[in-house]
Amino acid sequence: MDFSKYELDERIYDEMFHSDGTARAQYQGVHAAVTGTSAAGLGDIQDQVTGSFSSEGISFKVYGDEEGDERIIPVDCLPRVLSAGEWQELEAGLTQRLKALNLFLADVYGPARIVEDGVIPVDVVRGCPQYRIEMRGFQAPHGVWVAICGTDLVRTTEGFKVLEDNLRVPSGVAYMLANRKAVKASFRRLYRASRVQEIEHYGQVLRTTLEELSPAGTSDPTIVLLTPGVYNSAFYEHMFLASQIGAELVEGRDLLVDDGVVYMRTTAGLRRVDVVYRRIDDDFLDPVVFREDSLLGVPGIMHACKQGNVTLANAPGTGVADDKSVYAYVPDMIRYYLAEEPIIANVETNLCRNPDGLEYTLDNLANLVVKRVGESGGYGMLIGPHATPAERAEYAEQVRADPADFISQPVLALSRAPCLIDGHIEPRHVDLRPFVLHGRQTRIVPGAFCRVALRRGSLVVNSSQGGGGKDLWVLEN
Amino acid sequence: MLSRSAEGLYWMGRYLERAQHLSRLLRLQTEALVDRPVNEIHFGWLRMYGCLHRQPPVGSLELLAQDDYTLADSYTLADDLTFEPTNPDSVWSGISNGRENARHVRHCLSAGMWTCLNRTYLRVQGMTIQDIWASSPERFYADTVADIDTFAGVAAATMYRDEGWRFLNLGRAIERVQLSSALLHAQIVAAERTRDVSEAPWTGLLRLYHALEAYHRTYGLAVEPRRVLDLLATDARLPDSLARTLDTLSAELAGTAASPNDQAAGAAQRLMGRMSALVNYAWLDQDDPKALLQQLNERGRDLHDLLTESFFNYPVHDVPVR
Repeated sequence: MDFSKYELDERIYDEMFHSDGTARAQYQGVHAAVTGTSAAGLGDIQDQVTGSFSSEGISFKVYGDEEGDERIIPVDCLPRVLSAGEWQELEAGLTQRLKALNLFLADVYGPARIVEDGVIPVDVVRGCPQYRIEMRGFQAPHGVWVAICGTDLVRTTEGFKVLEDNLRVPSGVAYMLANRKAVKASFRRLYRASRVQEIEHYGQVLRTTLEELSPAGTSDPTIVLLTPGVYNSAFYEHMFLASQIGAELVEGRDLLVDDGVVYMRTTAGLRRVDVVYRRIDDDFLDPVVFREDSLLGVPGIMHACKQGNVTLANAPGTGVADDKSVYAYVPDMIRYYLAEEPIIANVETNLCRNPDGLEYTLDNLANLVVKRVGESGGYGMLIGPHATPAERAEYAEQVRADPADFISQPVLALSRAPCLIDGHIEPRHVDLRPFVLHGRQTRIVPGAFCRVALRRGSLVVNSSQGGGGKDLWVLEN
Repeated sequence: MLSRSAEGLYWMGRYLERAQHLSRLLRLQTEALVDRPVNEIHFGWLRMYGCLHRQPPVGSLELLAQDDYTLADSYTLADDLTFEPTNPDSVWSGISNGRENARHVRHCLSAGMWTCLNRTYLRVQGMTIQDIWASSPERFYADTVADIDTFAGVAAATMYRDEGWRFLNLGRAIERVQLSSALLHAQIVAAERTRDVSEAPWTGLLRLYHALEAYHRTYGLAVEPRRVLDLLATDARLPDSLARTLDTLSAELAGTAASPNDQAAGAAQRLMGRMSALVNYAWLDQDDPKALLQQLNERGRDLHDLLTESFFNYPVHDVPVR
């Protein structure tokens, strides 16, 4: 199959090709494999990859879509490839960033030096709906508030940038592993010849991380994964991870708290729980402390957590550090806590809470991406260049009504990678979400959930908005 | 094991057993549509609806003198029992509920079990009675039976023999006791209500439980109702007999970890013993198998309640902590 229809655009970084049309070193193997395979052969490979997802029932749920309550994330069979050198730099940058974010959380729920020293305005922190006043004074085990982080990275012609830190309940790691399994089985020879770094031990690394954070004095901790249930969009992943790490998959109704200790209900009676890998939002965690109408949570679990009888990973209240306004200050945090320069840059961000930022945003709406501070998953955002004047005008009204709820960023020319689309190889925009684990030390398996905007020209990679996935290969040195 | 997971496995077992049993019955019935006399077809529907304690969607099942059971009626009845989503006993309900429970407890299943069950679900999903009726409905039922048999085989070959395995088998066995006792009961009632029925429905019953050859070997070629009932109830060598199913139930129950609810668990053990005695001892002296089957069915329901109280939904006060 050839690349005759493959378009290069010098304003957009292409993952496979240099601007002169020659394949990058790390992509030589994939390039040769694609060139040496017929269109029908690649079609078969694609069908095989898609088929394995369907029969294994690897699905997610789309909100607001009554019919398709279970959908398969479309997967493109062609892997995205990073060199060992590229990965090492990302690894260092991600480690640095999570270290600073954990220090920030300990600080804002403790002495708040960073606010006192004027690095971050007090209202940005306190005004954030994700700031949990209940967590003030809490000492996270070993200072680790965020044990599992999924950072969204994009690449432009200027290099990698962090688009978003997901510090609450990041998802997608099951797809990282499922994509690898399916693609590896379909490109057997290419995979072996390429010497790709392994990611299959993610479950062990996660288990080790959670064990390291168990309450003092527990030698063989009982770990559970707390899910909102089968109707949650990421339920497949919860189930998958629970079996990977040898944890019971529990719902709120399976747990109860007695005298500050958490128990689960088993067929043989109650059993004490030491670590809860919770995949349920702060709001729904404990009806006694947060939303009292929550049926998903466990009454009293916050009390048990604050007493140190159970570890919640991630700790409640971490949302303040991945808030879209606070995001703008992460480079300053790195400088403040670590006295280092950020290794991976931020995307330039205008805070509409500041008069300058608001004015700039409203004046340049047609060229910006505007996001609601509290939303995620690609919901509630405006992509200026793709919106109609009427949509922009309507959105501007919303921004004016509550400026603090919005930020804007330039429309990024996300890098593109080759995908098999309707029997041709075409470029599509991609991002990547590596998973950073932090117990006593930081560990990152060399892989990521790579998301693809499968619609031509689209920049939106979210699974809920028509995005798909790709396997990401990090090559050995 | 987590109580909710155990309960999910238990129900998964029950639903799949139900779908399997009904598919077997429908296979037999749709085969009969080809060449059996009308009164036998009528008998078949009567037996099926009687076993499910369900009212047919087309009103009364009485066979009037001038009324021929047309294919159209069978079509409606088969649809009601196969694809009707509001019928909790339909084949589709069994498969989709079984799969829904499996989805909740997927981490307790082997990968092969899930894939097998999910394929079955994907095959049946979206099908309608029109899709299967024109060519060969019995083929559809045969495939469904084979799918669920395969699932059981994959489970036996791949599932870790922990508590989950026990609860899956408890669900299957208790459902089988309920279905078999109800079907045998319905068979007797239908036989009482219909006249001039040949031995064919009794032969059919033997085929349904894979027992025809065993019957011929034991009793010869003449098929007599009472002997059929005896074989299906008491022959422990027959995989689907009541006696064997109760043995399985009893063994799985004895193998579960100590329940936190001593009282309910003790009552369940005693009830189990009484159910076994009904089949293994009382049956031989009993002239009225109908009453005995009814009794067995009611005790099966009580056993389900006691299992729920023992392992799934026990009171948490004063419960031992492990």
